[in-house]
Amino acid sequence: MNAPSNRPSAEGEKQEQPMKQHCEHHAECIKKIQAILDGEATESEKEHFRLNMDKCMPCIQSYHLEKCIKEALHNKVLRKPCPDDLLAVIKAKVNS
Amino acid sequence: MPFIKYYLSVSGTVLKFVVVSIPMSVVMSEAIIKEGYTDDQRYEIFNREFMPHIDSMYNFAFRLTTDEDDANDLVQDTYLKAFRFISSFEQGTNAKAWLFRILKNSFINDYRKKSKEPSKVDYQEVETTYNSEEAADTNYTVDLRADAVQDLIGDEVATALNALPVDFRTVIILCDIEGFTYEEMAKILDIPIGTVRSRLHRARNLLKEKLKNYASSMGYDA
Repeated sequence: MNAPSNRPSAEGEKQEQPMKQHCEHHAECIKKIQAILDGEATESEKEHFRLNMDKCMPCIQSYHLEKCIKEALHNKVLRKPCPDDLLAVIKAKVNS
Repeated sequence: MPFIKYYLSVSGTVLKFVVVSIPMSVVMSEAIIKEGYTDDQRYEIFNREFMPHIDSMYNFAFRLTTDEDDANDLVQDTYLKAFRFISSFEQGTNAKAWLFRILKNSFINDYRKKSKEPSKVDYQEVETTYNSEEAADTNYTVDLRADAVQDLIGDEVATALNALPVDFRTVIILCDIEGFTYEEMAKILDIPIGTVRSRLHRARNLLKEKLKNYASSMGYDA
């Protein structure tokens, strides 16, 4: 029974386990990460993300990559506005 | 309206309603009200609900067709169809998703056939390829770094996007450029939400490969 009294500090240290450098289910993790970034994750996915996100280097890197790609698509890709002449044609045809 | 779902199928002049779980008398009165739009109401709905989305619609059309003339024709056809079938649009519902759905159907029915891409089903080919590599896909990652993506310019990202087969390109446009929810995308594309999710995942894997090519060409050691 004495042994457990020493445990807390040992476990405290144990929490600082080395960061995982390999993710054995990375494809599934990427799907979850994408759902999180899309604002479409389920509660259990959010919970899994919250508990594990800072423990796995490939997943951390994937999170940043997926976020960058999503932001690049949204912010960098030029949005083509509707040409004025097309707008005029549509209005004219609808009103004819 | 609760309890009512209208499914608009625009294919030529065919307009189809499927009504779910609602007494016929209510359906009839609803239909009468809808058919009863006056001309003024039709123009008012068109201008208030549909026209604000014309830039997004044009952008979607351009990203689908990758051609300005085709995008012009597609947007014009879509808006004229939307006006013709305006009685089936329920005010207060999601006009943007409704319009995108018509545009997507018009694209499949009218434009995809004549586009320069190998006739349709490139999606299925890619899908099959990916499915056959399902085991490999388990650990499939593209070796690409976030800072390499940050250094890409918009044209490079757009070119990578345009290089995707159209069905994969479509889900990325709808989700990441237009910001539709999975549920809205499922309605626009007529596919289950689970398929939206898996198709997005595959589309993004393909996009990462394309982006990696640009990153490598810029000298990033990915």
